[in-house]
Amino acid sequence: MIPSDHFVKFYAEVFKYLQKQGQAAIDEYYTTIAEHQKTHCLDLFTSKGLAGMKEYWDKIIFEENCDADAILDEGKSYTFIMHHCPSLAKVLDNDAGVCDIYCDHCPGWVLPVMTAAGFYTVCDSVGADIPRCVEKTFAKLEDAQKYLEVVKKRHPDHPELIKCNF
Amino acid sequence: MKPEEMRYCSTGEVHLDFHGSTYVGLKYLFDHFGMEAVDEVLDSTAKKVYKSIYERLQRGDSSELICHWRYYLEREKCDFTLTENPDGTAVLELRECPALRQLAKEKIDDRPLICHSTEKMNSCWCEGSPFEIVIEPLENGCRQTLRRK
Repeated sequence: MIPSDHFVKFYAEVFKYLQKQGQAAIDEYYTTIAEHQKTHCLDLFTSKGLAGMKEYWDKIIFEENCDADAILDEGKSYTFIMHHCPSLAKVLDNDAGVCDIYCDHCPGWVLPVMTAAGFYTVCDSVGADIPRCVEKTFAKLEDAQKYLEVVKKRHPDHPELIKCNF
Repeated sequence: MKPEEMRYCSTGEVHLDFHGSTYVGLKYLFDHFGMEAVDEVLDSTAKKVYKSIYERLQRGDSSELICHWRYYLEREKCDFTLTENPDGTAVLELRECPALRQLAKEKIDDRPLICHSTEKMNSCWCEGSPFEIVIEPLENGCRQTLRRK
């Protein structure tokens, strides 16, 4: 049995294998993960909206030992600020070597779930080898679009660090 | 061996939902690329991720594997007994497997694939070592006997 604590190390090996199969295989895996994750959180997001996201990720912050802050601006936005990601940290502390696309898996499943729930999300990876990121979700598309322009200015030469579902 | 001497000694809370995520990964590989793909990823997990456990077993040292079993099963609060012998052999009686427990909670009925992952990793670890691990299924878990070949 692979312990829960070491899932991310196995997960990184899955991504390394899929990298050899091509981007389509990786994208399809993200879709599969999103479908599984929907069983954990979609009902909460659709019934309680942004407050449901805070409820879900407050539990994740606790159980996954994240150094993170979650800010709810009721009715307008939900912001998840990861100061030190335990998931990427485990992948970096790994005798099998790093997986350079590891951070992409979060927006990979979060964005489809947010789309299904009817919200607009911008994911800022900050840096692929730095265990930090910011995910901000909006109820209104125009607010999300304005925020996206702010984030783009942070990474003028690295558009690959920014992902959104609109 | 003490837990802090293991290559990976996780602390803090445990996110048991990850067992469901492990299953999703194994299933995806199996459905799209076959058992060969599942085994390739498990082989690299066993020998490269768990390089420390693997290399110790090659040298006839089972201490990190036994410590790993005890430490992580205790963290996941499951029903088990681990009997360790002075010659490095051991018997793990896992009466409530945390992975199977989580799959049951998520209403996933695919014990063979999760159990295969354990069998394959054990087989990879023991390859070329003085050890073998024999697995006998139990109702909600298994008995794993680590013995010398």
